[in-house]
Amino acid sequence: MAVPIKVPRLGWTMEEGVFVEWLKPEGATIAPGDQLFVLEGEKAAQEIESIDGGTLRLPPDAPRPGQTVPVGAVLGYLLEPGESPSWETEPASGGQASGGQASGGQASGGQASGGQASGGRKPPGGSASGTSVSGGSVSGGSVLGNEFAVEGRKSEVGNPRAAVTDRGARTTISPRARRLAAELGVDWKAITGTGRTGRIRERDVRAHTDHRVGAAHETALGSPPGEARSTPGRLVPLSAARRTIAQRMSASAGTVAAVTLTSKADATNLVSFRNQFKAAGDSPDSLVPSFTDLIVKLAATALKQHPTLNASWRDDGIFFSEAIDIGIAVDSDAGLLAPVVRDVASLGLRQLAAETRRLVERARARRLTADELQGGTFTVTNLGMYGVDAFTPIVNLPQCAILGVGRIVREPAVVGDQIVPREVLTLSLTFDHRVVDGAPAARFLDALRQAIEQPAPWLVP
Amino acid sequence: MREMTYMKATLEGLSEEMAKNPAIFVFGEGVGKRGGNFNTTVGLYDLYGPERLCDTPISERGFVGLACGAAMTGTRPVVDFMFGDFILDSLGELINQVAKMQYMSSGRLKMPLLLRGCIGIGHSAATHHSGSFYPMYAHFPGFRVVVPSTPADAKGLLKTALNSFDPVMFLEHKEILSVKGPVPDGEHFVEFGKAAVVRPGGDVTVVALALMVHKVLAACEPLAAEGISVELIDPRTVAPLDIDTILESVRKTGRLLIVDETFAPCGIGAEIAAQVIDRGFDELDAPIRRLNGVHTPTPYSPPLEAAVVPSADAIAGAIRELMAE
Repeated sequence: MAVPIKVPRLGWTMEEGVFVEWLKPEGATIAPGDQLFVLEGEKAAQEIESIDGGTLRLPPDAPRPGQTVPVGAVLGYLLEPGESPSWETEPASGGQASGGQASGGQASGGQASGGQASGGRKPPGGSASGTSVSGGSVSGGSVLGNEFAVEGRKSEVGNPRAAVTDRGARTTISPRARRLAAELGVDWKAITGTGRTGRIRERDVRAHTDHRVGAAHETALGSPPGEARSTPGRLVPLSAARRTIAQRMSASAGTVAAVTLTSKADATNLVSFRNQFKAAGDSPDSLVPSFTDLIVKLAATALKQHPTLNASWRDDGIFFSEAIDIGIAVDSDAGLLAPVVRDVASLGLRQLAAETRRLVERARARRLTADELQGGTFTVTNLGMYGVDAFTPIVNLPQCAILGVGRIVREPAVVGDQIVPREVLTLSLTFDHRVVDGAPAARFLDALRQAIEQPAPWLVP
Repeated sequence: MREMTYMKATLEGLSEEMAKNPAIFVFGEGVGKRGGNFNTTVGLYDLYGPERLCDTPISERGFVGLACGAAMTGTRPVVDFMFGDFILDSLGELINQVAKMQYMSSGRLKMPLLLRGCIGIGHSAATHHSGSFYPMYAHFPGFRVVVPSTPADAKGLLKTALNSFDPVMFLEHKEILSVKGPVPDGEHFVEFGKAAVVRPGGDVTVVALALMVHKVLAACEPLAAEGISVELIDPRTVAPLDIDTILESVRKTGRLLIVDETFAPCGIGAEIAAQVIDRGFDELDAPIRRLNGVHTPTPYSPPLEAAVVPSADAIAGAIRELMAE
């Protein structure tokens, strides 16, 4: 029985993704658990593994690499040994079926007709009957991706009943409010509706946006956004990643009571510490940790002393994580990504350096999994390589704080009665004042500064 | 501008057009010397004589058929039904002949026929003298259906009707015949299919006709004090129906209530709602609501009669409800 390979839902709000490539050629024999294809979801491209086995066959109208596909769209089929695909056994009606799927830009419409078509041309006792059954399930419940699981997230994706329940409890929005949300690029699912039965109304979207974008900011722009369209230029459609970044940044800017503290640290000892690694040589077995690695490690020790900075905001309270999992901001082609280094406190410096190097490479190759992007408790972002001293990073919700690392620059400093050159580094700590007050945040920053100035005790296990 | 009653305004309009056009003549029960049950032709008998103000026996089907033939010959009959309820007695002639004649003759025959009657609930007129039925007439192709709410509109629309070559149902709500309002001096015409924005507002669009326009206006005052700004649209003609003006208002407010004294099922509110959803789905911030007269024969008892017509309080309540959606 042919098993359709469908686009899984990689995240809570994912509606569509970009089909990147097949990891197996057509005709290959697929075993359950094989990495089958790459799908770009809201934030990262992920390798999707197969739960079923069979021979991979692609219909003539299968999505091509780079194509945007709706969740639930059929990418191909897994066939049993000796089974022929329906489009080869029934060429006449095959065109009809592919018509339904070619228009598969619309999820349910395209597939409903595809499912119908295959049901209608079911050969007596033929193998195509399997597709009609699965086609039916797609059009009916939009329960998607239960054949495939994302690495490490099997339970969530693999439970169709949970998905249906979620759909039933979904908040409603008036057509007008929905249109406004789309115009403003607002993710309305995050808005609380004030209409009857919690329906989101136009005013709720506006209130949400006004909250995010101060009125003063709008007038400062001078011209309304509509006018900007008539000026010469090029409109680049939003990628899934860019949209997600925008939503997360807006959500953070709109909800976090952000305060940024800056402090200068004397990094002379840190520079010489790292130079000792360099002197020992860089090889796969003995990586030279980057300054980011060193500061991540030192931040972990400071977080251990000041756990409130490692906390996160939740609606029902403040969650103090036992683990110290630090996200590292990475600039990639797809935009900003912050893969998470787990349990930094327990990692040796070289282990940490190897892990960050691995994550950065995967980020640049757009191969990070959702798991590798989730669950951080603190974030470090380094703009030092661009000559930046201090900045005001945006808190990565639901985390409480983010550390901005500036460049290391030689400055004259007064030591004793002498003016001497020292390597000076500026730290910019943005924290969420809802979670933690200014004094504890300042104490954390001071602890980190001291650790940077005298790093060896903290860095040597 | 002069102030005059609704009935005086239509009388003036009819008299002006009769003076200009000798092809216009009126017939109906008691329209001659008596001047019409609702004073629709008072004084015209003395001005234009018995040939042009012609009393008929109680035989609606007969005199409507006669009017149809007269219109085919090039005259311009005005049939005054007194109570609009009795238009129903002539529906066979109206729907099968009058409304179809231009189509059946490939446009060679015109049908410049004005059919007027008083409609609406009030004065304990009871179930045979309280009907309105305009949504039903608008259902059939061929009729213009006019339901004015103010003296100026009544005059302007009547004069337009008397220059139209289509059959026009001109329906006057009997509870507003004595309502006074400003009427422009001189020639005054109001185009068919052009709604009036009676009251501009920003929060909710209310569509109403005839007496309901006045009731909605009465409801607007307390609502304004509560901070609810109502935009009131009077389509004035049910056929043709000016959906564009309603849509334009809904584009502003996102909310629509249709207040209509006639029955809800298959009514004008349902039609407006369907067209607005069809063309303005994305404008809507709330479900479209209707407030109608109760779907029942009209009672004689004054308290019961009052209970079947939407009141200003009920309208204000419906608007508050809609604002909470």
